[in-house]
Amino acid sequence: MQAPGNRTMGILASAVAFVSLACFAPQSFAVPSFARQTGLACEGCHTVFPELTPFGRAFKLNGYLIDNLPQVKGLTTDNKEALLLNWLPPISIMFQTSYTSTSKALPDSDPALSGNSQNGQVLFPQQASLFYAGRIAPNIGAFIQMTYGSDSGAFGWDNTDIRFADHANVSGKDLTWGVSLNNNPTVQDVWNSTPAWQSPFDQRTSAAPTPAAATQIDGALADSGVAGLSLYGYFANAFYAEFGVYRSAPQGFGGQAGAGPLDSTASNVVRGTAPYWRLAYEWQQDRSSWSVGTFGMNVDSFPGEGATLSGATNKYRDLALDTQYQFIGDESIYSVQAVYIQEKQTLDAIAGQSNTLKTMRIGGSYYYQRKYGGALGYFATTGTTDTSLYEPGAVFGSANGSPDSKGWIGELNYVPWQNVKFSLQYTAYNRFNGSSSDYDGFGRNASDNNTIYLLGWFNF
Amino acid sequence: MKRYFLELLVATASLLVSVSAFSGEDAEIAKLATRVCANCHGPHGDSVSSAFPRLAGQQAAYTEAQLKTFKDKTRGDPYAQAYMWGMASQLDEDTIKRLGAYYAAQRPHPAWKGDAARIAQGRSIYENGMPEAEVPACTLCHGENAHGKDSIPRLAGQHPEYLVKQLVAFKSMQRANNPVMHSVTDKMSLEQMQAVAEFAASK
Repeated sequence: MQAPGNRTMGILASAVAFVSLACFAPQSFAVPSFARQTGLACEGCHTVFPELTPFGRAFKLNGYLIDNLPQVKGLTTDNKEALLLNWLPPISIMFQTSYTSTSKALPDSDPALSGNSQNGQVLFPQQASLFYAGRIAPNIGAFIQMTYGSDSGAFGWDNTDIRFADHANVSGKDLTWGVSLNNNPTVQDVWNSTPAWQSPFDQRTSAAPTPAAATQIDGALADSGVAGLSLYGYFANAFYAEFGVYRSAPQGFGGQAGAGPLDSTASNVVRGTAPYWRLAYEWQQDRSSWSVGTFGMNVDSFPGEGATLSGATNKYRDLALDTQYQFIGDESIYSVQAVYIQEKQTLDAIAGQSNTLKTMRIGGSYYYQRKYGGALGYFATTGTTDTSLYEPGAVFGSANGSPDSKGWIGELNYVPWQNVKFSLQYTAYNRFNGSSSDYDGFGRNASDNNTIYLLGWFNF
Repeated sequence: MKRYFLELLVATASLLVSVSAFSGEDAEIAKLATRVCANCHGPHGDSVSSAFPRLAGQQAAYTEAQLKTFKDKTRGDPYAQAYMWGMASQLDEDTIKRLGAYYAAQRPHPAWKGDAARIAQGRSIYENGMPEAEVPACTLCHGENAHGKDSIPRLAGQHPEYLVKQLVAFKSMQRANNPVMHSVTDKMSLEQMQAVAEFAASK
């Protein structure tokens, strides 16, 4: 039994962790900017947004450069391109509105009160984004997103991938290669089996609780704010390799001088740089494509949050396997994505404990005429019980210190136009933060967090 | 360790840049074809997906004509609208001509191998037509070897599924840029289209 003071601290810590996680929950967007720039319908790049087709993957690897707009051009004295700018900027807007209802209402956020929050939350908007997405120079393109989030009530910086891309002829085969500057490991990836863009897509916000534990590469590192630089190559439309490094670069960090430098008031600060790597192979046959891959990263970080950024670090070693199968017919489209992530933690900056955290997700979707569809997915996170990491706390905490969460997510989709989607999603938890019943020590069961979620998603 | 990572990055980038030159008779068009067209039509015009036609070995005049009808939007079948109206919108006459020549010079895909019985049925239609339905023999325009000539397209080695889709589009007038093919397909059944497409692709 926790003392009331500890409980309050647990609630606060868990709420902070949860809100920050929710802000960086996988976000996934289709961008009419690209349609405007290329003149291609959304179906060129997406099966149904945001899942990419083989052409969409190629378009991204090519640096978002394919451009069919009139250009403003500039030439050097020796007739080389010095400027190549779209006549009109490829700008677009995304608007999401949603309704969220949990099986059991959440308790009031004031722990002194015994009542519940209102259940059935309308968010209008849930999120609204402004994109610049397209070519910005002859070999440089960008996907830049600013998002208003209902969580924060403010605009913030969101997914960003600025890349240089070129081609080389190696032994008669084409090599697409490039450099990506981005702010989330795997946001630059082109397969929908990696964390940033994995299907089925959980778009819920803080209106519904989500599990507390996540590996570094599955959002925890991006949560604390990073910037990454990676070099990639895609050879013969089959072999993909990428290597990069990430360094802490949080937005909105106060610190001692506004935008930094980072100090003890920051959290999860990477020591030096965290290397990231990715290998994948894609096989294509007529309307089918199948990819298998592996990715991972090594993160040594200072916990911060009152401790100086020196001395012992927490070490995270993430190794993941992923696969995707897609069939894109004229009438029927179906795909399956799966990922398994294993993280070994050596937490020298806490108490030296060695933990593991594993996440597995598998999901499949089907669409008829790109209009009517559905998806079903299973997710499971398991790991070492550690009461210092997963503390008790109402709703968001864990009574037994276990990070284990498991459940299903199913959705029905209606896509009346290629840029408008309505989704009805249901998430069911078998286990939440360590247990199926009274998981938080405050009497809440895992199934109390089962969620009905209705989403309207407009891109224009 | 960190230093080695950086050195590896720089060395790899240098190697890649050093081999990034294209060669060939029309390097500029080869570059365009590789960087843009190949994303759907495959390296050297040999596409993998039957959603997109193989362009390798296609008659130059036919490729040119199609690019022009995409550009002026007179070819309006669904895939043309979704993909090619945009892709062809900024192509000038010279580029269109050179793209036609580039793909005509590429090695065509080998003959398609399919169901022997259906190919035999298709052979009859292809070589003799269907006089009772006033469907002329395909050989009259596309040639015995289905290689086409000038603005008549090559069919040999093409994706059969793509050919069927075009025949259906001609019949329904979704692809209304060829009145001759509309009259040819007007009285053909889907099964007959599939058979003749498989035979033509098998040449």
